[in-house]
Amino acid sequence: MKRQNVRTLALIVCTFTYLLVGAAVFDVLESKQETSQKKKLDDRKDELMNKYNLSNDNFDELEGVVLQLKPHKAGVQWKFAGSFYFAITVITTIGYGHAAPSTNGGKVFCMFYALLGIPLTLVMFQSLGERINTFVKYLLHHIKKCLKMQRADVSMANMVTIGFFSCISTLCIGAAAFSHYEDWSFFHAYYYCFITLTTIGFGDYVALQKDQALQNNPQYVAFSFIYILTGLTVIGAFLNLVVLRFMTMNAEDEKRDAEHRAMFTRTRQASSMRSPVDPPATAASAGRGFRNVYAEVLHFQSMCSCLWYKSREKLQYSIPMIIPRDISTSDSCVDQSDSSSGRFPEPRFNGCVCHMQQRSAISSVSTGPPSLSAFRGFMKRRRSV
Amino acid sequence: MKKQNVRTLSLILCMFSYLLVGAAVFDALESESESARKRILEQKRNGMKKRYRFTDEDYREIEKVVLQTEPHRAGRQWKFAGSFYFAITVITTIGYGHAAPGTDAGKVFCMFYAVLGIPLTLVMFQSLGERMNTFVRYLLWKIKECLGMRKKEVSMENMVLVGFLSCISTLCIGAAVFSHFEGWTFFHAYYYCFITLTTIGFGDFVALQKKEDLQEKTPYVAFSFMYILVGLTVIGAFLNLVVLRFLTMNSEDERRDAEEQDRTNLIPLAMDDQEDMQRQRPSKAKPRIGSLWSCMCYRYQNCDSPAPSHHEHSSVYFNSISYKVNGISLSTRDNTALSSPGSRLSPNCCSMREYLRNRRKSV
Repeated sequence: MKRQNVRTLALIVCTFTYLLVGAAVFDVLESKQETSQKKKLDDRKDELMNKYNLSNDNFDELEGVVLQLKPHKAGVQWKFAGSFYFAITVITTIGYGHAAPSTNGGKVFCMFYALLGIPLTLVMFQSLGERINTFVKYLLHHIKKCLKMQRADVSMANMVTIGFFSCISTLCIGAAAFSHYEDWSFFHAYYYCFITLTTIGFGDYVALQKDQALQNNPQYVAFSFIYILTGLTVIGAFLNLVVLRFMTMNAEDEKRDAEHRAMFTRTRQASSMRSPVDPPATAASAGRGFRNVYAEVLHFQSMCSCLWYKSREKLQYSIPMIIPRDISTSDSCVDQSDSSSGRFPEPRFNGCVCHMQQRSAISSVSTGPPSLSAFRGFMKRRRSV
Repeated sequence: MKKQNVRTLSLILCMFSYLLVGAAVFDALESESESARKRILEQKRNGMKKRYRFTDEDYREIEKVVLQTEPHRAGRQWKFAGSFYFAITVITTIGYGHAAPGTDAGKVFCMFYAVLGIPLTLVMFQSLGERMNTFVRYLLWKIKECLGMRKKEVSMENMVLVGFLSCISTLCIGAAVFSHFEGWTFFHAYYYCFITLTTIGFGDFVALQKKEDLQEKTPYVAFSFMYILVGLTVIGAFLNLVVLRFLTMNSEDERRDAEEQDRTNLIPLAMDDQEDMQRQRPSKAKPRIGSLWSCMCYRYQNCDSPAPSHHEHSSVYFNSISYKVNGISLSTRDNTALSSPGSRLSPNCCSMREYLRNRRKSV
């Protein structure tokens, strides 16, 4: 079975197993407490109903009012600060639910707003995260050079360690700040930061909901917004470093397979071309030579000689006189190749880079052997000669 | 300024403007209705307080009890079905909050569960989404073939259109079912499906919360879980098609820049060889081999591939190919169009080894 299919099936099985295991553990951890808490609350409710002579209907009515007033208790939710907070929870997909559009117009706008905002935010966080990773890599490289270490290059392990520690410290900083402002325990504040920055956003703990903070405490409001956005960037950078490459795996394999198929088709064509046929006298040696080299070239694709040719190409333009005419590629070939960017429908030879085992932390994509348009350029040369 | 930096800065600016615009619009849409509602509710509350002669303390007590009872009203939330529902909302990051771990141990496990589960789920949905896209592309191609159309290739527009329509139909199917089972209007059910499948998950509308649905209506429960997971796959496939390439843009540019730098470093080598060639025309093969060789050496170092084993084969190889291949000037790199983000093609070092072995045999 194709590798991509095996991988996908394995992932599906993994996820389902993970869900089952999680469900079992949560059941064990929470069920008992749930039943005991429910019992306590029911008893308390009965007490209150007896004390105030409330019927069930009365209590339901009271309950309805209390629940509906809940978001209002936390302050005005839809003035500008609150709306901004809400907009953040929408496009980052945190979605606390502490405030949710009640008007139908609000719901409709919310959907369109999310439709454009979520991809924009995803791309933005990954973009910024990649910049941060690059910068950290650069810093680390210079630190290693300053410390005169033997190997000054930055390994993936280095980057992952730093990324992990940045995430932990971001969570701790947030936990400290929110436990102070919101009067939560450090653990609960840490839990809040974690649930927020992973964009789960239960809404059991929500910042800026005490003492009308949204309207009265602009510095704390600004801090919260900046914290959420910066924290998401740090997490995004870590995801960009570690997870993003796995999300493109199937597509790369698919492309590699397509190129292998293309390569084999051309190899078959080449070997059929090699069969002994008397070439026309005028182009006898050239034709035979061409066919031989054609076949060579087909096998040549793994070679990084293109780099050499590319450097010569650069020379051609920068220092034209250095390259003697007879041994160089004919200028026409170079020109033709360059101008032919639109003409070759096949996947292009993308430059020879041995990046499959690249140690760079930010590399993610690499595919198999480049398919050939090289022989096309060669054919052009033959024509010009 | 570097392209990646410009791109990143403009994205940041875009996002902030988007937030400001959104905040302003939500303010305009919801503020008035909020204050009106608040007034009405507070009147009701005061009326009740007077009627039942609650003191402020009493009312606060009742309020506490009511708020704490809220999750229990929807039935047992932590039996297996409820826990499974909760686990789904955690690893897909939907996070309704209709049930949240009450015990500290539950909170701790929840965090560790999310740390491993979220990346697993992300990769799984993208993987499955890519398979779906490939299958749809194949289907479309076959359909075009059957219809005897001239251009049989499946374009990006075709794929985006099909993807978009699948998303819309997924939302509509869910809306129809949930509006029936939960007693919501079609619009509210659609809104629920949208908020769920974009993983925002406010929690203002949550399925399976009518009294004891989780424990009693097992087929409906199974449908809800399947719907959420399948719906997320469809959305994931669409994102894989449209958005994923943009997530890797900066890395691609960074790599391209690194390669440009590598090539610039290599020119001096080639230049020296060119001068040699000028002076020693008869032995032109050797310097060329030399520069090819240096290219290979350099590349293999970067490759981390077992370079030493190649050295002895290469000279033989070079002799046979030599100047005939010099004529090729290879085209510049560019991104291929479809599906995956523009990938860097790289020679397969293993096939290289195989090839060299074959070459040696033939020589």
